[in-house]
Amino acid sequence: MSAAALDRLSTGLPGLDDVLGGGLFKAGVYMVQGAPGTGKTTLANQICFAHVAGGGRALYVTLLSEAHARMLQHLRTHDFFDEAAIPDRLYYVSAFNALETEGLKGLNALLRHEMKTHRASMVALDGFVSAAESADTARELKKMVNEIQGMASLQNCTFLLMSSGRTEPSGAEHTMVDGLIELDDRLFGVRAERSIQIRKFRGGDSVRGRHAFEIGQPGIEVFPRFEALFGRSARADPQAHPLATGVGNLDRMIAAGGWPASSVTVITGPTGIGKTTLGLQFLATSSAEQPGLLFSFFESPDFIRSKARSLGLPFDQLEEQGHVAIAWQPQAEHSIDKLAYQLLAQVRARGVKRLVIDGLAGFFESAVYPERSGRFFACLANELRRQGVAALMTSETRDAVASAVPTPYGVSALVDNLVFLRFVESEGDIKRLLSILKVRNSEFDSGTYAFEITSSGIHVQGRYTTRGDVMPRAEPIGDKWREEGSHTSSNT
Amino acid sequence: MPPITTILVVDDEFGNAEVLSVILEEAGYRVYQASNGAEGLRRAEELRPDIVLADFMMPVLNGADMAKALRAGQDGHKLKIVMNSSLSESVIRKHFDGYDAFMQKPFDVEKLLAIIRRLSGRATS
Repeated sequence: MSAAALDRLSTGLPGLDDVLGGGLFKAGVYMVQGAPGTGKTTLANQICFAHVAGGGRALYVTLLSEAHARMLQHLRTHDFFDEAAIPDRLYYVSAFNALETEGLKGLNALLRHEMKTHRASMVALDGFVSAAESADTARELKKMVNEIQGMASLQNCTFLLMSSGRTEPSGAEHTMVDGLIELDDRLFGVRAERSIQIRKFRGGDSVRGRHAFEIGQPGIEVFPRFEALFGRSARADPQAHPLATGVGNLDRMIAAGGWPASSVTVITGPTGIGKTTLGLQFLATSSAEQPGLLFSFFESPDFIRSKARSLGLPFDQLEEQGHVAIAWQPQAEHSIDKLAYQLLAQVRARGVKRLVIDGLAGFFESAVYPERSGRFFACLANELRRQGVAALMTSETRDAVASAVPTPYGVSALVDNLVFLRFVESEGDIKRLLSILKVRNSEFDSGTYAFEITSSGIHVQGRYTTRGDVMPRAEPIGDKWREEGSHTSSNT
Repeated sequence: MPPITTILVVDDEFGNAEVLSVILEEAGYRVYQASNGAEGLRRAEELRPDIVLADFMMPVLNGADMAKALRAGQDGHKLKIVMNSSLSESVIRKHFDGYDAFMQKPFDVEKLLAIIRRLSGRATS
């Protein structure tokens, strides 16, 4: 049978259908494997509830697994739980007695009977390891799975077999099933991250590798590895007009008159130099045609609003008008992929054209696999460009007076525009300096300019001249940044 | 000495049936088990229990259909039926409301024993 002839069945789990390339195949037999506590029962129940919500009928069969009463108590805490679906559309039974007294034949006989009685189009068999343990030989287990395949095929019923077994995917049962979904819960230092991996998927292309998932009140939410889904390149729209930076003299330093549309700008500099202020001024020119979004990691919305007021920026008014929104990510253990999807969801929902990510480190510190960071950032930047967003991202340098232009994980090569802010000592005073190091497809003034921050924001002053050399050496510091730990970011 | 009250526990979940049986036996009852509604009917016919403690969702025949058949059988009106389920009573009532008592799982064993004592006519302690 060709893949085109197979009907898909949505799992109803956010993100999982994307990983599966469109969902499970109807009448397939899928094994969900993972150690106890990895989320197999929640996953299977969520799929069953989604199935019955879509008009199907499901049967949930347990062997020696969690007691139904306890399981339903746990499920009631999730938004997907719908008691009204039970027992007419979703029915729970234990088949342990049948297995115990009549073996695998008894188990399959019970499955056949219950499928027919409840006209089930989906069956979840929880505790498959008990069935496997009842088989005297691998051949006997294969025959049992083969019979399940027959039931699935003849009655157009999709099977989920949940197993806490730790066997490798070469086990007898694995060779028979149409798909093998593996759940995992790993420690990264003191932090744990759940992940899902499609080890086998007959008839379709799944997104290979591990994908983070979370179990929360809504249920399971899968976050497909961002760079595995968003690898498409962006093409700049030659008709798009540049976007004003919000700082008059800075616009004049760029021949195009502002940041190119569909571009990514990184503003790097030490704490207190004015990175957040530059971002707020960029957002203060948001409008109905150019909605703005502040995706902030370190400073709360109240702090941001207060700061904007102190700079005389009409942030409150823009928020009221819906031209600007703040999405704050309080410091916690985030999944880097979840953050990216949250960001893109807001960008798409509001048609955001002006975006400030305040604290790029917030993304990178969320990565449990730091080696992903470069590819992740490249794909995020590309997707933002594809959405026509002019994005400004702040990145904090370690030292107050920098001796290098540090952009973590070598993102400087991936960004369109790069601005370096720094402090210098000059005759007993500390001065702020600004240099544009790179602008995509536009000439720019590469001079070093002094600037100050007043009650009306950033003002770029004259070109800064000195006998000494204040231009630091540019140096990628990805590995060094990682080895020495992250910055304590307080973006100003 | 009054005859020992006999109870038929009908539950498809092995652990539930086993634990309930032990608790009821320790409380002085004679207890039998069945693992689905069809087996429950057969055993009830054979054993003539005083009380049937029936789960609702079971394979082969559910607890509601079993209870209806028991009520319709010989001396069915005398039989005491205690329905129990993980689902709420309002859901069960839609399928069968002719029971003498209902308990939602997971339940308090002392409450169950109090119900059994009441239905068996034993004095409460």
